[in-house]
Amino acid sequence: MNTLISLTSLLIFPAGLTLVVVGMLYEWVDRKLVARFQNRVGPRWFQPFADMLKLLAKEQITPGINNQILFFGLPIVAISGALTSALYVPLIGLPPAYSFPGDLVVTIYLLSLLTMCTGLAGWNTSSRFSLIGATRTLTQLFAYEAPFLLALLGPSLAAGSWQISMINTYAGNHWLIISQPVGFIVALIGLMGKLELPPFDAPEAETEIVAGALTEYSGRGLAMFKVGKSIELIVGITLVSAFYLGGVHGVLPFLAKTLGVLFLMTMLQSLLTRLRIDQTVGLWWRFGTILVLAQILFTILVKGGLL
Amino acid sequence: MNIEHSLQKAEQILAPWNKETTHPESNRLDVSIAVNDLRPAVTALHKSHCGYLSAITGLDLGPESGQMEALYHFCCGAEITTLRIRLPRTNNATLPTIEDIIPPATFFERELHEMLGFKIAGAKSNERLFIPDDWPEDVYPLREDFSIEQAKPVEGRHADELPDEGVVGGNTFVIPIGPQHPALKEPGHFEFTVDGEIVTAASMRLGYAHRGIEKAAESRNWIQNLYLFERICGICSHTHAMAYSMGVEKLAQVEVPPRAQTIRELVAGLERIHSHLLWLGVAAHEAGFDTLFMYSWRDRETVMNLLEQLTGNRVNYSANVLGGVKCDVQPEQAKAIKEGLNYLETRVRHYLDVVTTDTMFLNRTRGIGTISYEEAEEFGLLGPTARASGLLRDVRVEAPYAAYAYFPISGVIETNGDLEARCVVRLKELLVSCFALRTIIDNLPAGPLTVRMPRKIPAGETISRVEAPRGELFYYIKSNGGDHPARVHIRTPSLCNWVSVLEKAVGRQLADVPMLIAGMDPCFSCNDRLVTTRDHTGNRKTWSWKQLREYGIEYYKR
Repeated sequence: MNTLISLTSLLIFPAGLTLVVVGMLYEWVDRKLVARFQNRVGPRWFQPFADMLKLLAKEQITPGINNQILFFGLPIVAISGALTSALYVPLIGLPPAYSFPGDLVVTIYLLSLLTMCTGLAGWNTSSRFSLIGATRTLTQLFAYEAPFLLALLGPSLAAGSWQISMINTYAGNHWLIISQPVGFIVALIGLMGKLELPPFDAPEAETEIVAGALTEYSGRGLAMFKVGKSIELIVGITLVSAFYLGGVHGVLPFLAKTLGVLFLMTMLQSLLTRLRIDQTVGLWWRFGTILVLAQILFTILVKGGLL
Repeated sequence: MNIEHSLQKAEQILAPWNKETTHPESNRLDVSIAVNDLRPAVTALHKSHCGYLSAITGLDLGPESGQMEALYHFCCGAEITTLRIRLPRTNNATLPTIEDIIPPATFFERELHEMLGFKIAGAKSNERLFIPDDWPEDVYPLREDFSIEQAKPVEGRHADELPDEGVVGGNTFVIPIGPQHPALKEPGHFEFTVDGEIVTAASMRLGYAHRGIEKAAESRNWIQNLYLFERICGICSHTHAMAYSMGVEKLAQVEVPPRAQTIRELVAGLERIHSHLLWLGVAAHEAGFDTLFMYSWRDRETVMNLLEQLTGNRVNYSANVLGGVKCDVQPEQAKAIKEGLNYLETRVRHYLDVVTTDTMFLNRTRGIGTISYEEAEEFGLLGPTARASGLLRDVRVEAPYAAYAYFPISGVIETNGDLEARCVVRLKELLVSCFALRTIIDNLPAGPLTVRMPRKIPAGETISRVEAPRGELFYYIKSNGGDHPARVHIRTPSLCNWVSVLEKAVGRQLADVPMLIAGMDPCFSCNDRLVTTRDHTGNRKTWSWKQLREYGIEYYKR
């Protein structure tokens, strides 16, 4: 019985199929909103599903690559990392499927897995676009990862717990966006960096390096990376809303809060020009990290009763 | 008055080498010189700032006369000084190179060599620029006695040999951009050697869209050619047709009625708006600012619709006929155009605001690819690319044609020379265009649209220059008195502007390269391939692939 529940939670709900569907719907909202902001019509609601079905049906080309196992294995690792991370977050406003003290750290690392896999995938091929793309992906990872982590650390310090469900409960009574506005902004922008959305899309800047690290991927492999990314989108948004926007308890607040965050992200995407990779790194280390560190220091002082 | 004065000055400068002087047209000076005097004559002209080298035209005078001619055209304002050199029509006709005096002459000299078989003594490279690699040796397509049977591909050679190597050495490798690449809308091939993110060498080859139009023109009659030339470029089709018909009309000594002249300027102005808005979108896309891209292309639809209303076509408007224009401006069209212009003007003002104040966009444009006034002059830049560096090269202002004398436009100049300045120049030009076009609509002269043109054009040769959206478009047209041209030579502005990309890419980040390419608004249909590069020390070289690669390997062994 226990195994059955575990399997269901892994493969159907909340991770697995449900997550894939919700992730793709959110991807559609993202694409549609950006299109509307850019005065385009934008895709219909089933476009992300159609894209994925098309990719799954297509032949996967194996170009000049260094390691076959890595080439086929990386997309699987990437998507499983993203799927697993969903088990610890309050998806659709429901309590997380699994929860233990310290699951925040695990979730953050699982979320980074996708980026690492993308980087490795680029490195694994002999394509020059992929190599440059992989270098940029990993450079960017080092730029936003620390501030993003610190931005999620703020609420956990305030809640006094490393457990996502605990922080979510704590946040239900405290809108942390008010006490930690910097943390919210950094978390939001960090998430955009993580997802390589504009203006942080230098790793896949098509006018320079085609599709970046994933240039040589096609068919199933590409589909898995894409799905992994939509899942990461929804997991990331859920985390940010749960931590900063008064927690997510129930389906309606979940929808309202996550779509609100997504709306903000699409606005930023359409407003901003792509940053060069050196500008991205500069932005994160010169402003992002320092601001969020100051924020954390402030939180610690308040928490310790020193202020 | 001024023209006469400056032509006299040029004549005086050229006096020591002058063999024969003629004044074929009021603004032209033809000086025949001996081949050995070419370099001193060019140096003297160049040093005294008597114009810039606009084009080199090669002529084959036919097997009977046994001679070939090379014409070096120097333009300065409205005045054109041409140096003529006659050589025997053999495969050993040799001209000394002038690329060390005037760098952009390289492109013109290559064309002379490949198309007509002039040997260029002292040229740094003999790599093919226009014709494919599998073209047979000593077959020159623009010779009079060329036949297509001669052009059988040489076995064992590829039309387009691309190198297969990627890694040059150490951390350095070559990033190929094109012929098919998301950054390019038209086929071109660029190789950027990068060390990490920094570009250390740049090269390019073009020629994927070479269609042999100059040769084709010789077998079509005057009217057919109008439609052929209109199809050289999809964006500035009207300027090509206009330059050609103006030249033919000059040869036929036909005066085009003022209304037709004015409508030509009107269509050219609308075309400029369409071209610059298209460019703005492309530039924004290269920088990764897709919202601006979508908005400017949406607004471009307005002007496309106006052109369609006016001429019936959105792309190749076909507004010109020899001796006038085809389309008239009806009152309701005039109203629609004015409304459209009002809308576009507000939009352009908005975009001007965006490109000069949006911090993120400025991060990608301000101070990048800066070309100084001196460099612009040295590289022989044209059009908005030159004007962004403070060099006023605009045929509409310097030598008004069509109705530009009656409806003048003011030349727009920016002095910074970076990508931002190139955006600003183009957008400000649109404001100037909007203003001029409104004046035209309000004061359209009455009268007929066409005059009768003879079927055969009297013998003679003429030069017709028009300001295309990308810069000066140069047409040399020669008639033997028949119903088809003896030679038409076209020099498009993109060809002169390439230097600005390759010179400026080295040392920059890879991410800036697409912007630099877009910055000059390249038009691949208009020109062809070459290989040129510049190294760290600033020596300009024109290099073959293998040389470049070997250099790269050597450089990084040290």
